[in-house]
Amino acid sequence: MTMTTPLRAAAALCLAGSLTLTAAACGDDGSTGGGSEGEGAGSITFWDNNGGVRTPVWKEIIADFEKAHPDIDVEYVPIPINDVQSKYDTAIAGGGLPDVGGVTTSYLANMVAQDALEPVGGRIEDGSLKGVLAESMTESVRAAGGRGDEMYSVPTSANNGTLWYRTDLFEDAGLAPPTTWDAFHDAAEKLTDKEDNAFGYTIRGGEGSIAQALDAMYGQSGITEFWDGEETTVNAPENVAALEKYAGLYGDVTPEADVNNDFVKMVAQFDNGDIGMLSHNLGSYQDHLKAFGEGGFAGLPQPSGPGGKRVQVSNPVDGLGLFKSSDNKGAAWKFIEFAAAHEANSAWNESAAQIPANSEAAQDAWVKESARDNGAFASLTDGSTEIVQLPYYLPDWNNISKTDNEPAFQKVLLGEMSAKEFLDAMAEQLNEARAEWQEQQ
Amino acid sequence: MSTAPTALAAPPHARGAATAPPARRGRARRRRPYDEVPRWQIWVPLGLYLLFTLIPFYWMLLFALRPAGSTSLVPWPMTFEHFDKVWTERSFATFFQNSMLVGAATLVMTTGVALAGGYALARFDFRIKKVFLLGLLCSQFIPGALMLVPLFEIFRSLQMINSLGSVVIAETVFQLPLSLILISTFIKNVPYALEEAAWVDGCGRFRAFCAVVLPLLRPGLIAVGSFAFVHSWNHFLFALMFLSEQDKQTIPVGLNTLIGADSVDLGALAAGGVIAAVPVVIVFAFIQRWLITGFSAGAVKG
Repeated sequence: MTMTTPLRAAAALCLAGSLTLTAAACGDDGSTGGGSEGEGAGSITFWDNNGGVRTPVWKEIIADFEKAHPDIDVEYVPIPINDVQSKYDTAIAGGGLPDVGGVTTSYLANMVAQDALEPVGGRIEDGSLKGVLAESMTESVRAAGGRGDEMYSVPTSANNGTLWYRTDLFEDAGLAPPTTWDAFHDAAEKLTDKEDNAFGYTIRGGEGSIAQALDAMYGQSGITEFWDGEETTVNAPENVAALEKYAGLYGDVTPEADVNNDFVKMVAQFDNGDIGMLSHNLGSYQDHLKAFGEGGFAGLPQPSGPGGKRVQVSNPVDGLGLFKSSDNKGAAWKFIEFAAAHEANSAWNESAAQIPANSEAAQDAWVKESARDNGAFASLTDGSTEIVQLPYYLPDWNNISKTDNEPAFQKVLLGEMSAKEFLDAMAEQLNEARAEWQEQQ
Repeated sequence: MSTAPTALAAPPHARGAATAPPARRGRARRRRPYDEVPRWQIWVPLGLYLLFTLIPFYWMLLFALRPAGSTSLVPWPMTFEHFDKVWTERSFATFFQNSMLVGAATLVMTTGVALAGGYALARFDFRIKKVFLLGLLCSQFIPGALMLVPLFEIFRSLQMINSLGSVVIAETVFQLPLSLILISTFIKNVPYALEEAAWVDGCGRFRAFCAVVLPLLRPGLIAVGSFAFVHSWNHFLFALMFLSEQDKQTIPVGLNTLIGADSVDLGALAAGGVIAAVPVVIVFAFIQRWLITGFSAGAVKG
């Protein structure tokens, strides 16, 4: 069959149109540049990167801020956490960025690379936040930005990996809290009764599975560095053995459906079924409280590995970014300073059950109570844990730790791929990404 | 003599009606395939399919209606606290209103433009008609995400970012190609002679279209309109990207904000899901009859 001339022309037109659109979609109008200090008053826009869940506490903080600064209005915009990166990327490419936005270290490098964020190191030094931000978190923010010592966000909170367990099930089985990996595996086995639909553990096999697998892997192997020279340690023999053991939990002591578990399904399974343990973070505390009530569950830091050493991977640090395109940076910075100051930072973190970045807020009574009730709250800062710093600064990190490898990890769980094959492939991607990043520096 | 002409004048199907029912006479009634299949072979798969379809809805209702922390498999004791929470605290009342506005405006614009364009495609021959139709088909292969940045820039230059109008226009643009093709097929099925007869009776083209063609297009209009409404009601991407004020956001964006980074309120999420599903279910319940007629007309007679 041959095409007539008009049809050929139409096909060419459509092709040209598609290519033009593609080019336009990939283009940048330079809208991230410019901006000005403004008059330090007027209206500013704030995008909450975890909109909805944190909306009530942000509205309280904004109301307090507007009371303290009657000449500034804050327009609050809640953005769903799952889509915040695409929202930022679209606004970076097409314009319309806010003045202030919530930014975590997991995608900070990507935004810095697109020149969207204003450096804030100088403003911190010259303002009220000097010396009050937790050093470990400012270090994470510096490292994640990937531009030397410069900071591109003001840290506000950190999360920490937590092993949640059902105290009632442990007591009934006569088990002690799983503070070591050996105790963890033992408890997972003893709490499993498949015929009764009871399982010792729920594993994350779907979205977000890689960070959790890496956490369990480094925790059991005891390796404390992500890089050994120019090469990653993810496929070191100790890590391969640790991942084999971790993936071996699937199906034996976990539900079969776990292969598709994202955190929502995983937490829902734990809260609504007979599952002994769950690895998540401090953030799901309220969900467990609703499900089991006080005393029905407890949280522990990462179990200890070989030689009693506790090792875990770093968690993203949440913060507030000042956007370069803002025409009212003066007012926007006042808002950031207010939100990261003692009172607001404490209120936000208490509501979110996370660790405050403001060192004065970290001394508040609720923080000490939380640390007493849950060792995971304190383990990040009390020196008991060695942290393997994940390379958030690699622009490819998000792809490598999510879309590129999550399906392959499901194959490992299902026994269709070995842990070694999986880790070797991931190591190759990481080494390439690091080499590419180094070339760009 | 006087009765014979009367008998002959009777319509053929009335002849012999007094003696015996004609349908049963002479040969056995032809069995339809439906009668040859045992009823259970129809009802059991249908029942299983229905169960498979309804279980997720039941699960959503269960989480929406049972108290937080309950693990009961029936929503008892029943609570409406989750509905109250999402409707008032989480601004679903505003989101619902915005979604309704976007859905209704998209429906009206899509149907209106598709009607005018479809009529032109069905009734007129013009130089680039085939090219235009090919272009319409090709446009179906362009994903919405690819258009995001260009559309964002256009709406920004028109100062339409943060306006529900931007979402309505974007939704209409994406709905139009298929709607145009569908409506033009429906119009082609309406005999041209009907319009010509109306012209002879003194109608102009527009009046003839309104008086003669439009009433016959009801199934097609309902099919196109309902799809435009449901699609815009459910569509998330444009609302997320083009609306950056909380009081402008729509139901799908609101639903996504119920999922946090580390925790999710399943009761609120389920209640939000029920609120989002109800209008769609009502729309389909009302239009089901017209929808089937519309699709069969468009599909078979085209």
